[in-house]
Amino acid sequence: MPNERGHAAAVGDSAKAAVPRPWWLGGLVVALGCLCLYGAFSLPQVARYAGIGPGLFVTLVGSGLVLLGLLLLIQIAQGETFTPQDTEDASGSEKANLTALLTALAAATVPVLTMRALGVPLTALLSFTLVARAFGSRRTMIDIATGAILGSLAWFLFTRLGLQLGGFMPFAGI
Amino acid sequence: METFSLLLQGFGIALQPINLFWAFLGSLLGTAIGVLPGIGPALTIALLLPVTISIAPTSAFIMFAGVLYGAMYGGSTTSILINTPGEAGSMMTALEGNKMARAGRGAAALATAAIGSFIAGTISTVLLTFSAPAIAELAFYFRPADYFALTVLAFTSVAVVMGTSRVRGFISLFLGLALGLVGIDQMTGQARLTFGIPALFDGIELTVVLVSLFAVGEILYVASRYRKDGSEMTPIRGQVWMSREDWKRSWKPWLRGTALGFPIGALPGGGSEIPTMLSYTLERKLTKHPEEFGKGAIEGVAGPEAANNAAAAGILIPLLTLGLPTSATAAVLLAAFQNYGLQPGPFLFTSNPDLVWGLIASLYVGNTVLLVLNLPLVGIWVRLLSIPAPQLYAGILVFATIGIWGVANSVVDLVVMVLVGIAGYVMRVYDFPIAPVLIGLILGPMAEQQLRTALAAGQGNPLVLVSTPLSVVFLVIAALFLLAPVLIRRLRANA
Repeated sequence: MPNERGHAAAVGDSAKAAVPRPWWLGGLVVALGCLCLYGAFSLPQVARYAGIGPGLFVTLVGSGLVLLGLLLLIQIAQGETFTPQDTEDASGSEKANLTALLTALAAATVPVLTMRALGVPLTALLSFTLVARAFGSRRTMIDIATGAILGSLAWFLFTRLGLQLGGFMPFAGI
Repeated sequence: METFSLLLQGFGIALQPINLFWAFLGSLLGTAIGVLPGIGPALTIALLLPVTISIAPTSAFIMFAGVLYGAMYGGSTTSILINTPGEAGSMMTALEGNKMARAGRGAAALATAAIGSFIAGTISTVLLTFSAPAIAELAFYFRPADYFALTVLAFTSVAVVMGTSRVRGFISLFLGLALGLVGIDQMTGQARLTFGIPALFDGIELTVVLVSLFAVGEILYVASRYRKDGSEMTPIRGQVWMSREDWKRSWKPWLRGTALGFPIGALPGGGSEIPTMLSYTLERKLTKHPEEFGKGAIEGVAGPEAANNAAAAGILIPLLTLGLPTSATAAVLLAAFQNYGLQPGPFLFTSNPDLVWGLIASLYVGNTVLLVLNLPLVGIWVRLLSIPAPQLYAGILVFATIGIWGVANSVVDLVVMVLVGIAGYVMRVYDFPIAPVLIGLILGPMAEQQLRTALAAGQGNPLVLVSTPLSVVFLVIAALFLLAPVLIRRLRANA
């Protein structure tokens, strides 16, 4: 096995616990399908020449999602198991660390709030420090400095390549 | 011998100093990302897409090809030395390669991987050189109905083959299709699924979705289940590269790996995992040293590595000749073509011969550059792994956000990034395949357009969709893909 580490520990205590039933997952797919159908509702389904209008494909995709969501719900009812994927640096059999997940999610959300106002370098500093923290780094000052340098370098490099990234620090007018 | 003179012309372009520089840069970057965890060729090319603003298309594609091939080489290095496959296609290499390294034969494993990759890459590029123009000629006769059937085939095969469950594969695909519908309808100018948000009128960019799924989704997932790597690198100082015996045991697996990898890579949904697995199984059956398998058999490294690189060349066939992406990397390459206003397909060979042949010639050049970069410099590459994981993933997120912000300076894109990133996390936890989302997103609009063109030509009669032999064949194969697992189960039950 390419991934012996990490598994070894999990094998022993994989006692036959009740199969988790993530009903919400199937429900979410159905809901997304309904959202498509709702969007298709206001669109013409047929056009004069092409036979089908702009709405038909949306209706098809929406119906497909609803159908697949129902199939998924049936599978869940039948006890389908979901095995988290194994990737490098992460083991599917490990229990999720909620604090780390939320910290990383905060890092991904920061740019929504700060990118326009604070600019790339400061946003990079904040995101970088938060992700490093989510992964267990506690050298916060060094992370802040690394994030600032990385963000500034990337800003200079990409701006020189002709990419529009906004000002260096828009709030200060630079 | 028209192909030959066109290829020579391509070499004239690929060997220009500036293009050599881009090939070199692409190979360097590709090898680096192959070695590093968390980033693959698709994400790297997506993040490099912004540079298409300032460099010529030929140079850009020469660089991207270097990234694609380089990632394959880099992935094998980490598989062998520290038992962490950098790419899905390197999983099989890790099985035997790491055992070889632990038995003190790491240098031989690295050599057979690199030389095998070079040979497979070169043979596949020759096959690509001579088959692509022929397939492109054929594609001239494709009618909209054929194209529509072909996209349906691509959809079903990708959704069925990738991942563990057909239902989840199709859910991924349909999510991609739905995302592809967002924006102004090209044929009627009506806004679809925009829900009154003006920023969505232009649609959702593939780059945004790809970067969110691969970078943000991955970071959230790894952060939540991070385990510090206890594995250490096996040193290779002072070992012999390959003995006479090693060569004798390697050359046949190289060729067989190539024969498996290239055609399967060219098929929709083929990718690089399936041919490498097949090659491993085949070598295990054919070997004269079955007792060594599982303990470090050189055939188990030589075959899959060759298959892996051959498959990377294979995906370029449907992409260049039909405009049909069959993997996440191919999807982002297609997006790069579209950035330049180019549409891959039969017409590309006549309208942009310099680009096509320069790209093909650069594959030969890139392979040679990579062999030179990898064999002697392997020690330097491995040092990249000393970047600590917290800072590495933090850096990936920074580049991902800058990449997405650079597309259109749109806060809505950043919101999409968070939402799709969460979706990417959920998909990893509940084992949904990622690639079908991207294939659906980029091929969906194409499928719809061909469907509407075909129906318009047939005055709305749906039978026009099965009016050509080719379209029937494609749709039948698509149906077989869909039903195959059920049929096989039935047959087994009856037997």
